[in-house]
Amino acid sequence: MKIVTKSFLRYLPRRLSLSLLQLMGVACGVAAVVGMTMSAITALASFSKAVGFLSGKATHSVQRPAGPMEEKALADLARDPSVEHFSPVIDRRLRLSNGDLVRFLGIDPFLDRAIRPEIADAELKRDTGNPEGALSFLLGDDAVLVDRELAQQLKLSSGAILQTTRGSLRVVGTFANPSGDPLVLMDIANAQRLFALQGFVDRADLILTDELGFRTRWENGFLIQSGRQRSIIFSAMLGAFRLNLEALSLLALFVGVFLIYNTAMFAVVNRRRDSGVLRSLGARRHEIIVAFLTEILILGFIGGALGGVIGYCLTRFLTALIGTSITDLYFFLRPEPSAWSSWILFAGIGLGCGASMLGGALPLWEIVRTDPVKALSGRVADRQSGRNAHRTSLAGLLILAISVILLTLPHTHIYVGFAGVFSFLIGASFLTGTVLVAVHPGLKWLLGRMGRLPGKVAAGNIRQNLGRTAVAVAAFMVALSMSVGLGAMIGSFRQSLVWWMGSQLQGELYIGKIGEADVPETFYEEVKRMPGLGGADPYRKVQVLYRGLPVYVASVDASVVQRFTHFGWLKGGNENWEPVKRGGVVISESFARRFKVKSGDTVVLGGAHGPAELKVGGIFYDYTTEHGLLMMDRSTFLRVFGDHTINSLAAFIDPDNPRRQELIQEIKRRAEARGLPMQTQSQLRASILKVFDNTFAVTRSMRALAIVVAFFGIAGALLTLFMERRRDFGIYRSLGFSTGQIATMTLLEGLGMGVVSYLLSIGVGTILAILLINVINLRSFNWTIFFYFDLGPYVWTAITALVASLGAAAYPIWKVCRTYPQMQIREE
Amino acid sequence: MTSGEWRVARKRTALWLAVIVGVILLSCIPSSGAEWKQAVEPWTWSFPRDHGSHPDFRTEWWYFTGNLEDTAGKRYGYQLTFFRQGVNLQPKDPQNPWSIRDLYLAHFTLTDVTPGQFSFAEHLSRKGPGFAQAAQDGMDVHLLNWSAKMEGNTVRIEARDHEMELSLKLTPTKPVVLHGEHGLSKKGAKQGQSSYYYSFTDLQTDGTIKMPGSQFPIRVRGTSWFDHEFGSNQLAQDQTGWDWFSVHLSDGQDLMIYFLRRSDESVEPTSSGTLVTATGGATHLRLADISIEVLDRWKSQRSGGTYPSKWRIFIRPANIKIVLTPLVSNQELVTGGSTGVTYWEGAVAGTGTSGGKRVTCEGYVEMTGYAGSIGGIF
Repeated sequence: MKIVTKSFLRYLPRRLSLSLLQLMGVACGVAAVVGMTMSAITALASFSKAVGFLSGKATHSVQRPAGPMEEKALADLARDPSVEHFSPVIDRRLRLSNGDLVRFLGIDPFLDRAIRPEIADAELKRDTGNPEGALSFLLGDDAVLVDRELAQQLKLSSGAILQTTRGSLRVVGTFANPSGDPLVLMDIANAQRLFALQGFVDRADLILTDELGFRTRWENGFLIQSGRQRSIIFSAMLGAFRLNLEALSLLALFVGVFLIYNTAMFAVVNRRRDSGVLRSLGARRHEIIVAFLTEILILGFIGGALGGVIGYCLTRFLTALIGTSITDLYFFLRPEPSAWSSWILFAGIGLGCGASMLGGALPLWEIVRTDPVKALSGRVADRQSGRNAHRTSLAGLLILAISVILLTLPHTHIYVGFAGVFSFLIGASFLTGTVLVAVHPGLKWLLGRMGRLPGKVAAGNIRQNLGRTAVAVAAFMVALSMSVGLGAMIGSFRQSLVWWMGSQLQGELYIGKIGEADVPETFYEEVKRMPGLGGADPYRKVQVLYRGLPVYVASVDASVVQRFTHFGWLKGGNENWEPVKRGGVVISESFARRFKVKSGDTVVLGGAHGPAELKVGGIFYDYTTEHGLLMMDRSTFLRVFGDHTINSLAAFIDPDNPRRQELIQEIKRRAEARGLPMQTQSQLRASILKVFDNTFAVTRSMRALAIVVAFFGIAGALLTLFMERRRDFGIYRSLGFSTGQIATMTLLEGLGMGVVSYLLSIGVGTILAILLINVINLRSFNWTIFFYFDLGPYVWTAITALVASLGAAAYPIWKVCRTYPQMQIREE
Repeated sequence: MTSGEWRVARKRTALWLAVIVGVILLSCIPSSGAEWKQAVEPWTWSFPRDHGSHPDFRTEWWYFTGNLEDTAGKRYGYQLTFFRQGVNLQPKDPQNPWSIRDLYLAHFTLTDVTPGQFSFAEHLSRKGPGFAQAAQDGMDVHLLNWSAKMEGNTVRIEARDHEMELSLKLTPTKPVVLHGEHGLSKKGAKQGQSSYYYSFTDLQTDGTIKMPGSQFPIRVRGTSWFDHEFGSNQLAQDQTGWDWFSVHLSDGQDLMIYFLRRSDESVEPTSSGTLVTATGGATHLRLADISIEVLDRWKSQRSGGTYPSKWRIFIRPANIKIVLTPLVSNQELVTGGSTGVTYWEGAVAGTGTSGGKRVTCEGYVEMTGYAGSIGGIF
């Protein structure tokens, strides 16, 4: 190794604390990117894997457009000349007594063998030495097979009882399930009984030899999907969510790279003087470059590797969060965190080194250009920093202008929107230098009030060392803005949701649970007839295809809903229900925006008896699905789809009914007698909010990560400033500064930077929230979130900023107190 | 019995199914008090009702095999077999079509002699909502898209799987032949170790078949053999396999013989046969009336089993001496998708003498228990 490089590297252990901080900076940045990206990839890959495994060898599936399919159709499938194999399936979710939801498949192992040989083999060929066990799956009313991992997790062995909300099930064996999606299997006869589906199946998976021929015979009244179509539809369902994850990954990348850039830049700036010394001793320019690069790459390498490991640990937490969100919002998914692979390490190292190079490139270029004599003084660049700051600000303004253009371009891809938001953040961060210059007098006054002379000196230091402080403030500001922006956006969304719930969820009691416990039609009839009851709304929500894309159809009792709820309409009021009562539909804002459908238009849906034309009577605000929701009266729904399923039943009682409590108790008693789950209005609202909060858990964790990253950023900046100005402390000492005063000065420097960062983040963060609401959400979810001002995110961010900046100053202060007595002004 | 002489026994595939499925299921089904009917007394036959299902018995099968020829003289063979295997005589919820009272199994093979191509497919299902059914008032049995239905004096059999298809019309040219004692066919010494068994030994056949790989159906004609057998408890523990022969002689006679092999390599003494004259008259053949010598063997690369592949058969009372060889060596079925048992069932042909006159012959042979044990299938 060249002597120049060696001399550079000696610096790393000599200033161990700074090196460690820099290392942590890189590691955190890399961890954020690796953690977020890997979790998103793992969750989505696990979804593809689960879909793939469960589809088996099926080329197609056939089902009713909505609701279960009559099993009598299966005999025709068996004889259809295009059907080589078919397998009826009951595909549901089962809640275990520990609260976990697992996928439940009811299959006929004989027929399923051609579609999913692995599963059928598990049943038919299992335990050949024990004939008694072999057919118990078929003959035991409560017999189930549990996938091996789930069995291990629940400590279940053959003969054990699996407690579920639908009763006790007897485990008769286990099977290998490579999908990682917890799975319970039951014979279809028993599954029908368990889910009260006698005479029905959910769908039939098919292996077709002639798709066209099959379609001509079955298209009318049935939904036929190829494996590819199913996959596309599943993917389409996840589209907006996937975008959201990608955005968060990009955000992580942005913050991460910014921090690494920051760290690398500090590393370079710190060495400006050393480079001057070396240059003056005869080191050549390229030797200096190699030495710098080696140092940066070592930081990038170790930090990246460390970040890869931390990021991997993060995925274990984030993947589960993402899985829960997908399960809550779309369909059942339980992604397993991906196994450790050395590729994670390579990716981390690559990212660490790449971003470090990116961060180090500009300052490095500046250093090698600098005259060695000037470089020797170490502070030359800073004297020009005011001018530099203005130049940077001009660039920032240019980037902001680009961002405005990107954000205002109509009908562009959502990625353009993301690009606009990121360029806004980058542009804003470029303005920090100028802002620091501009707020200097105010800061001087503020810090002067707080710490007298040390305060004024602290303000001066921030201004004098713009090259470092501006970058640190920019990084911190971006992190805080993210905290404010995401917080304000989530808060507004939550408030909009609360408003929506207030408008739509007016029932006293909600009986049944979507996807878990349907309400028997007889129970609905029984409740409806109860004297004194205001109304009962039998709610059914089902996914159908509209123009080949997944949307939802909900069936309600339009008269009851009209009377008892106050939907938020884009136009008009509850009179919009009138056309619904006459066989029309009302549509959600997301449906209207997604398909550009207006009131008065006609939509065509594939029903059980062929296409059905439905007139749109109104558009309502809705946050239940970004795919679009059509609401129709139950009579229309039954006519179009013939699906009698009721997912939940809402009971409405007039507020001034004197028998109100008595009626509620009576309905509760009847529901309990049937073993139906129920929720009061407040419980239902709370559970919706819980789902909402779970959904944003990932976003919140990214927000927390941004703060951590920022903390290292500002701590690194302060420590660098301190290291750089050790000799300045000597001068302060000779000027009569006490240890306490120097500590105060360091503390106020941290605080000053924190204050400026925070003030900037109030503006930038608020704009970010507005952009997220009006550009990103509107474009990706097609719904309007109303901006609600809430002090919460601002206060929390202020506390975070304060704690982080003081915390970041703590180490330098400790260092000051410890080393102050030895501080000399030898060099002066 | 000489050293090279084999006394092989015949029993249809369903018999070992009876063993493997039946024994397994018997052990795991709670006794409901009711028992499957046993084949003990001679049966009072009544057709066409007895072509239908006899659900009081545990095991039943409808077995079609045939030798066919297309217009160009190319030879083919086919097998289409439906099994009904009783599982639970009194299921808890008999109205529910999914509840398992019986399992239905079926095997379908096609042999194209010219290229030596043999293809097979199998089905297995419960009754389900219209998946499988065997009517009780006449022959009308189907399993998914395979079926056999008798209307008037004609049986129509249909099967389609992937690229192979069969659609044949079979017309009996001889009356029903009752095997054993008026249709009670003994399979062992113990009581109940019997089945009721009759055949249409000579069915004039025409229709179409489609071999895998061929684009169009091939028009074929030929002769088929139909067996219908039902019982509950036929095989003994020490019976390891069987060999069954159905042969059409060119002088118009039909011959059926079966040998049940025991684990000590002896042949079950109740093994027997039936000789049917050109006019349809049937003569029961006792074991002593039959001798068979294995002249060659064929080893399956797939299963490792070694099967007899050339036989010299001598029927003493009728002075029939014939030598039979398979038309295609590999007609082995490895039935992982239904029964999990490997056996050989295929078209054969031969020459010889009958009553001193030269005859040619063709037919089908089935051999089980040569490729590993038939026990412990599931």
